[in-house]
Amino acid sequence: MSAALDRWNPITPLAVAVAMVVAAFAGPQPWTAALVLAIALAAAYAFGAGGRVLRLAALVALPTFALLVLLAAAFPDAPAAHRRWVPTEAAVMDALAIALRLGAAIASLGVVIAGVPPRRLTRALAARGLPAWAAYLVIASLEAVPDARRGADEVLDAQRCRGVAVGRGTGLRGRLRALPALAGPLVVGLVVESEERALALDARGFDPRARRTALVPIADARGERWLRAAIWLALVVLLGWRLVALVRSFTIAA
Amino acid sequence: MGMAAVVRSARPVVCYRPVTLPASRPLSTLALALIPRAVALNLALGAVVGALKLPVYLDSVGTILVAVLAGPWAGIVTGIVSNSVLGLLVSPTLFAFIPVTVVIGALAGVAGRLGAFRTLAGSLAAGLVIGIAAALASAVIVIALMGGLTASGTGLLTIAIRATFGVSVTSAAKIAAVVTDAMDKPLSCALVYLVLERLPRRITARFRGAAA
Repeated sequence: MSAALDRWNPITPLAVAVAMVVAAFAGPQPWTAALVLAIALAAAYAFGAGGRVLRLAALVALPTFALLVLLAAAFPDAPAAHRRWVPTEAAVMDALAIALRLGAAIASLGVVIAGVPPRRLTRALAARGLPAWAAYLVIASLEAVPDARRGADEVLDAQRCRGVAVGRGTGLRGRLRALPALAGPLVVGLVVESEERALALDARGFDPRARRTALVPIADARGERWLRAAIWLALVVLLGWRLVALVRSFTIAA
Repeated sequence: MGMAAVVRSARPVVCYRPVTLPASRPLSTLALALIPRAVALNLALGAVVGALKLPVYLDSVGTILVAVLAGPWAGIVTGIVSNSVLGLLVSPTLFAFIPVTVVIGALAGVAGRLGAFRTLAGSLAAGLVIGIAAALASAVIVIALMGGLTASGTGLLTIAIRATFGVSVTSAAKIAAVVTDAMDKPLSCALVYLVLERLPRRITARFRGAAA
């Protein structure tokens, strides 16, 4: 998956994904969202991450659709109150539009998330002007997550060995009492560790406002820059068109 | 050419750029070092909550801790970075909830500056205020993007509230969010209070010094 997108500057797939999200929400419903979802899933399968992206989108879109239809069926609006448990066509279409929009947005961004390593994306954004401190925070956070997860598992194991009651059999009050014993050492450990990191940053003269120089710059071809410019222009036109349509609808209503 | 001539003709060369720290910084180095750990903590505490089978998230403890120690701006930055990183690692849906973390970071920072975290009662009260504000921000996003229902326990709670009280979906979504966050945020703030009590004075003093 990453090999297919490695040929591109990471900002280009990100711009395409953002444009697809905006189109899914701003275009005529539900067909624009359905089209965006289909394109995003096709791209994901073409890049070899179809399963992961489909799972990400389905995990949110399908339960949302089911819950919205259930809600509309169980509590119909006044005109359809005599038809309880039979959702109206309008309610199903509304639920479908919302679920498709969510699915389209998640699938579009999911292609970028699955296909572009976050570190590479951050480096590309830093080359385009993202401040050094922001780039440091994103990369350091990505690196800190596995360590913190490991730390949480170690604290859990250590406290279980010492006899701290964990699990359903202990009752809610007992489990709440166990919370400081489990979370406390983890949080205190991370704060103390951050002091050491701060000393290391100061010792190296870390300047949060300095512009970083990349050892291996990420290529940004002229064609990609033109493509991104075209995408931003298309977005402005789309949003302008939606704004005009909105103003017209208000004018007609008035 | 003699040695004296070589010395005379030599020009001063600066090999390393002198390290000059900016006069005013948006975030202290200590806050910069703490924020990534707080982001990781927001995710890692999920393992503790899962092991204890508690009906809460505790996914803002890191954000609240940074806000109280380093101020509202650091809290806001932690919230933004936290949901951005979680959006990259877990699900893009979390990008949509960045404004909620901004509210949490800002309010926790203000509460910290007002001294709410000096006592357990103050922390619980701050947690309640943060919870209600975060719930309203979250409900607006859920209503705008998801029709009022999330694919989670809160969504089922929304349906239950709609069924029990006969209120609109919009109102039910707001009530469900307030109920959920009114349990979660006071507990998060109480946990932060307990952690602050256990932190070495040297570290809290360093944060106070950096903020001054």
